[in-house]
Amino acid sequence: MSGANTGSLADLQRAFQDYVLQSGDGFTGAVRDTTKADRTTLLDVYRDGYALRLIEVLTIDYPGVLAMAGAADFDHMARAYIAAHPSRHPNARWVGRHLAEFLASTPPYDGSPAAVEMARFEWALGEAFDSPDREPVGADAIMSVPPEAWETISFAPLPSLRRLAFAFDVPTSWQRREEVEPGALEVAALAEPVEWVIWRPELMTNFRSLEADEAAMLEALIAGRPFPALCEALLEHVEEDQAPARAAGLLRSWVEEGMIGAFSH
Amino acid sequence: MNDIGFGLGLRHEHYEEIVETPGKVSWFEALSENYMVEGGMPLHWLDRFRRDYPIALHGVSMSIGSIDPLDQDYLRDLKRLIERVQPLWVSDHLCFTGLRGINLHDLLPLPYTEEALDHVAERVMRVQDHLGRRLVLENVSSYVTYAASELTEWEFIAALAQRADCEVLLDVNNVFVSAFNHEFDPKDFLRGIPRERVRQFHLAGHTNNGSHIVDTHDHPIVAGVWELYAEAVRLFPGVPTMIERDANIPPYAELLAELDVARGIAAEATRQAVEPRAAAE
Repeated sequence: MSGANTGSLADLQRAFQDYVLQSGDGFTGAVRDTTKADRTTLLDVYRDGYALRLIEVLTIDYPGVLAMAGAADFDHMARAYIAAHPSRHPNARWVGRHLAEFLASTPPYDGSPAAVEMARFEWALGEAFDSPDREPVGADAIMSVPPEAWETISFAPLPSLRRLAFAFDVPTSWQRREEVEPGALEVAALAEPVEWVIWRPELMTNFRSLEADEAAMLEALIAGRPFPALCEALLEHVEEDQAPARAAGLLRSWVEEGMIGAFSH
Repeated sequence: MNDIGFGLGLRHEHYEEIVETPGKVSWFEALSENYMVEGGMPLHWLDRFRRDYPIALHGVSMSIGSIDPLDQDYLRDLKRLIERVQPLWVSDHLCFTGLRGINLHDLLPLPYTEEALDHVAERVMRVQDHLGRRLVLENVSSYVTYAASELTEWEFIAALAQRADCEVLLDVNNVFVSAFNHEFDPKDFLRGIPRERVRQFHLAGHTNNGSHIVDTHDHPIVAGVWELYAEAVRLFPGVPTMIERDANIPPYAELLAELDVARGIAAEATRQAVEPRAAAE
């Protein structure tokens, strides 16, 4: 930047930000040494602090990825991520929102699909943590639905509910994240992909695996399809005459577990 | 407003201990952004503590000095939080936190120029109009001195408070840190701030690297900051005080003990400030 030391407010701010983001050193001409420290040392308080602060946020949001990668590799990865995805939200809570996508699409991280799945799982946990509050629909409300309404009734899950499919044993491994040395968390491949559901009925976030037929029906429920269509969604997995009873049983368990946020008919 | 007393920063590490030992502080300062979320645990706890304590909201991302347009989504969310909390006051920092849509999540100092003063004053007035209340702005710790600055930091703050009709969160630790880093007398800073504009004091610890001090909020308050605090209380008597701790967070009881030190210093400084006056009357 030319004439930085007499620049406009806009010039100075742009040069300062460029320095912090390591995309330009012109700002060194705009600030002074002191008798105790040279300007580069002082400027680097901002440059170093920027990365360290965001890495700390990622460390808190992604303990499972850290447990898989180890501190040094995680730090290296986090710096590459921050460079590719600088924060664009005033709340640092959203800094890590692109991590799974970054890992999936960026060499060499794209060679670790288990870490991609771990990142996806941990971000979904974070989303559930502070998603909008809604009191789950109780069993009594469902019981009071008149029989004729079951032809048209449809349901909405809680705002916190997320469905995720994993080819690796991610949630089970995640529960061991604090029991192993950083870098030592192994996440094994599964014989078949398994679907999981994450939801927060009150303040605590829950997650569990889904049976294949349950996953199919939950997908239909999330799509807002009516109860007869939820029964149809099971037909790949159960006999036609068993579908209504299985659908009713699954629905009852979801209500009891506090996954359902609303219904209409 | 000057009988609010002594508070602490509301930190999730202390939630349980605050419930177990009620009434040890007069108020809490909550970091606005931590609660600018849709629901869940953060808002549950905030509502719970608000039932028992006055709460001040303290933001880090308004970026009041940035050349980017004001973030209207941020202001909308902040206003929603204000309506929920009904805070004692709403503060943020006299700085910029990024531009071109990027947030650096740091408090970058402004050059103390007439141009910057015009720019910030106009934005403060717009934010105050939007929120329907005065904004309280904090002096930041800074590490670099702009060659372009035409005013001292305290001249800039005093002019801003006057021009925009805003208030000042006087962070005593930040005055100490910046005075060390920029080689000015911290008491000149205190004496330059208009008495009636100071709404709140901050106290905190820092890390001294010898050649410069970094405002890390991860240590107990040092003796030099306590001495400066006593001077601040003499100059601005009765202003509510709180201690910030954001890293290396100790047990709640340890911060309560540190807050007792602040109470003692404030009581002594107030007595010293009153006695000469009484003697003169």
